[in-house]
Amino acid sequence: MYPFAYHRPSSLEEAAQLMVDADDGKYLAGGMTLIPTLKQRLASPSDVVDLAHVEELAGLNTTAGKMTVGAMTRHAEVAASTAIPALAELAGRIGDAHVRNRGTLGGSVANNDPAADYPAALVALDATVHTDRQRISAVEFFTGLFETALNEEEIVTAVEFPVPDAAAYEKFPNPASRYAVVGVMVARFGDRVRIGVTGAAGTVFRALALEDALAADFSPKAIDGVAVNHADFNSDLHASAEYRGHLVSVLAKRAVARLA
Amino acid sequence: MRVDVTGSVTVVTGSHSHGQSHETTFAQIVSDKLGVPFENVTVLHGDTGRSDYALGTYGSRSLAVGGSAIVKAIDKIVAKGCKIAAHMLEANEEQVEFEDGQFKVADSNQSLTFAEVAFSAYVPNNYPLETLEPGLSEKAFYDPPNFTYPAGAHLCEVEVDPETGVVTIEQFVAVDDFGHVVNPMIVEGQVHGGLAQGIGQALLEHGVYDESGQLLSGSYMDYTMPRADDLPNFLVDTTTTPCTHNPLGVKGCGEAGAIGSTAAVINAVTDALGVASIPMPATPETVWRALKHASQA
Repeated sequence: MYPFAYHRPSSLEEAAQLMVDADDGKYLAGGMTLIPTLKQRLASPSDVVDLAHVEELAGLNTTAGKMTVGAMTRHAEVAASTAIPALAELAGRIGDAHVRNRGTLGGSVANNDPAADYPAALVALDATVHTDRQRISAVEFFTGLFETALNEEEIVTAVEFPVPDAAAYEKFPNPASRYAVVGVMVARFGDRVRIGVTGAAGTVFRALALEDALAADFSPKAIDGVAVNHADFNSDLHASAEYRGHLVSVLAKRAVARLA
Repeated sequence: MRVDVTGSVTVVTGSHSHGQSHETTFAQIVSDKLGVPFENVTVLHGDTGRSDYALGTYGSRSLAVGGSAIVKAIDKIVAKGCKIAAHMLEANEEQVEFEDGQFKVADSNQSLTFAEVAFSAYVPNNYPLETLEPGLSEKAFYDPPNFTYPAGAHLCEVEVDPETGVVTIEQFVAVDDFGHVVNPMIVEGQVHGGLAQGIGQALLEHGVYDESGQLLSGSYMDYTMPRADDLPNFLVDTTTTPCTHNPLGVKGCGEAGAIGSTAAVINAVTDALGVASIPMPATPETVWRALKHASQA
């Protein structure tokens, strides 16, 4: 690890100002990605701004039809929540117990790892990302591989999830890291079906063709006739693009089977 | 093997223990054969400045070879002890037997404990000094006349998810013949570890390089070490056919788990898929491709 200045602000304003003042600052949420990156000397920020004591980022609220989760909420807390069981299940399958007790929702979405679980939920549930500057839909927020719509000093403060009529998450975990090789969240709001796919491509996406097929016939067999185009999918030592494409269909079917 | 003035024993072995529990197994042998309490036996290893040169730990040989050297040293200690005891008990050396930690004169009620003889070896007030050097410390080397031949049968039941290619091990039974077993719990642990290693080779562990020779599976985030939740509860048992050519009648056990399990798992997978062979590791994608290929054939 290279040396850096460590800061522990207690307000959003203070945190953002520290980042403005820093040469090359990094926000620290749960540290599940940043800390290993620092330890391996793959990053050398001048300043690390720890968000753990920023009160505005804490808390988990459920009101009529909505669940709002503060950015510093740990995965374990979401896993223990009840408003959206599919989201709780997803959170409960992230990493291992240690990761779930440290890792945060805000850290995960701001990092936008292509194999992270949460982005699938945000996209499928049509969530809104709250920052200290704006409110933005999940689909617009996740812009590419490790890329988001966040500006330099901008901080994710919370994620607002509409409560669906039904939702299910199916994940094919990487056997080594337990990240998603592919993860598929299927959500139903009345007649509307939304599907968020993580792991398969450079960033999370909606499976629009599958959504249309399921809107017409919400059953696993509706998925059989839909070809998943894997041309732009990831191919790496864990899975080829073709296999990932196949898994999208299989996992979507399994999620629908749990809901139909 | 050094016996001190109180009768405690220190074994300095050239067979290194890096998790195989030599400290326990070797101490058990000494304790059983000399009648010394287990906690009074110390096993030292891992320092070539202290031990004589030995070929070390490999090839499931520590007990069969290193353990046999210990038995030879014990025999020398006992032989010298019999001479000391004969002098102390005013008996002929041929009449003295060592049994249950006691030097006994045949057909009499006269006996000395191992600790009493050890004390006399270092405080030789009553000792055959004209014919025997004081002290009780012996060295033994052992080279086996032959290999040992452990044998076993491993049975594996797998379930294959035809949609994803995921292989789940439903049952695994390993029965091995390691000759006499000194410590059943340690042997079972060694078999468990070997099974995990063999199953890892069959299904999980994969060293991957790119075209330029860069290692891609360079951390445990990418290289799949077998973990507890990848494995079933093993059913492990032994049969006992003593080895005929070492003094303990023991055979190697360290590698058996890793040797039998890989083949058993792959045989189960190919049987389930109806194919003749499959590359290792049989990852989900590899199995899925094999299934696809078989259904097209």
